[in-house]
Amino acid sequence: MTFYTLTKIEAKLVWRGLDILIFGIIFPIIVALLFGYIMNNELFTQGNTMFLHSYPAVVTISILATGVMGLPLTIADYRHRHILKRFQVTPASPLTLLCAQALVQFIASMLSFLGVTAVYLFVFNYEMTGSFGLFLCSYLFVLMAMYSIGILIGSIVPDQKAANLWGSLAYFGMLLFSGATIPFEIFPQILQNVFAFLPLSQGIQLLKEVSLGGVLSDMIFPIVTMMACVFISGFLSIKYFRWK
Amino acid sequence: MVLKVKELSVSYGEKTVVDKISFSLQKGEVLGILGENGAGKTSLVEAVLGIRPAVYKEVAILGQSPIHNRKQVFEKVGVQFQESHFPDKMTVSEACQQWSVLYKATAPYQFLLTKFGLQDKEKSLVKSLSGGEKQRLAVLLALLPNPELVFLDELTTGLDTKARKKLWQTLRNYKREGLSIVLTSHYMDEVEALCDRVMILKGGHIICEGTIAEVINYSGQASLEAAYLTLTDEEGEG
Repeated sequence: MTFYTLTKIEAKLVWRGLDILIFGIIFPIIVALLFGYIMNNELFTQGNTMFLHSYPAVVTISILATGVMGLPLTIADYRHRHILKRFQVTPASPLTLLCAQALVQFIASMLSFLGVTAVYLFVFNYEMTGSFGLFLCSYLFVLMAMYSIGILIGSIVPDQKAANLWGSLAYFGMLLFSGATIPFEIFPQILQNVFAFLPLSQGIQLLKEVSLGGVLSDMIFPIVTMMACVFISGFLSIKYFRWK
Repeated sequence: MVLKVKELSVSYGEKTVVDKISFSLQKGEVLGILGENGAGKTSLVEAVLGIRPAVYKEVAILGQSPIHNRKQVFEKVGVQFQESHFPDKMTVSEACQQWSVLYKATAPYQFLLTKFGLQDKEKSLVKSLSGGEKQRLAVLLALLPNPELVFLDELTTGLDTKARKKLWQTLRNYKREGLSIVLTSHYMDEVEALCDRVMILKGGHIICEGTIAEVINYSGQASLEAAYLTLTDEEGEG
């Protein structure tokens, strides 16, 4: 009951904030509509391949907005305002509040996932070669890795300004250069080699392989990268987290 | 005994801001902790609550450790921090609902809102409240779990005279029902209005403690204000 009520209130607060609705839900759906329209056009010679490649990329936009932007900003905000400190002197743990917040961000991301998927399926007749169940599992795995990075940013930044700076850097960096919006394939090879170091580049690579029914050997490196994100961020977050 | 603290010290690096302080509090008693900014009041309160690293022989709130038994302890202890902030888009009623579900049993918050004169503000955003209203909300939340002991850090800083008097009256009613209170304050009138005992801190030490009459007597002055000024000054020069 405690967790349910806390989550409900956090959901109302996030909803009133509008940024998650705009950047996490509406923006990815608009990108999906645009990409579907542009890439399904016969003027685009490689249109169909790019269209197939774009779905696993566009579904990650909401992961970035919620996990790498929304989550660290809220953690830093709640610490800065001493809200976590107030929770420390109650029978509940401040961690319960942060979990409720993370759940709300996760639900927003899943709503966006459903919206983008519906656009691809019903507006542009997208067909996935690989298994959708496996794709969903991979999506959740990538989400976990990105949320870990977001939680790490929220854990180590000294104040809200820093959260904003590092959150924006991670968000825009990966939004633009990991293939989430601008198709990775159109970057020059040399830049591709550089951008491959962005964690989400590997995440999107994994999702692409799974959606195209690729072989496991091509997915090993992305899987290891995602696991490294979870473990390294998790370890550093626990080590450096401050309640106040 | 609702609170017992034995030889508690708080240090930041080399600097000791609270030095081996001991005190205790009986049921229904109100203790005022006085001292200038930086005297160690807030550090002391936070260390007693277990949220600031400290060394001590004993800290027992309602007979239990606030660190090892924090869940049980904080069911019956309310805290109002110096400044209480809330999320930007949170309404008064949401702040109350959120606080209510953290405890096993609470007073109905609508009843408390009326008691604290906030009944018309239920749907307002907390950030739209005036300073006095915000402070009343913070005290209300501290009293929500029907606590046996509350900590009030700078209760009426920033409040106007009328609002302060009203808040004191409300707290005196709670006291009559058996509530124990630890409060920190800069205001002598507040301490005289509420406290049974005072403890004056300077540089992390207790320089004087006792009932208000005892403190005045000890200083050889005519009022608590004069006593406070004399006592804190003497120590500074000595």
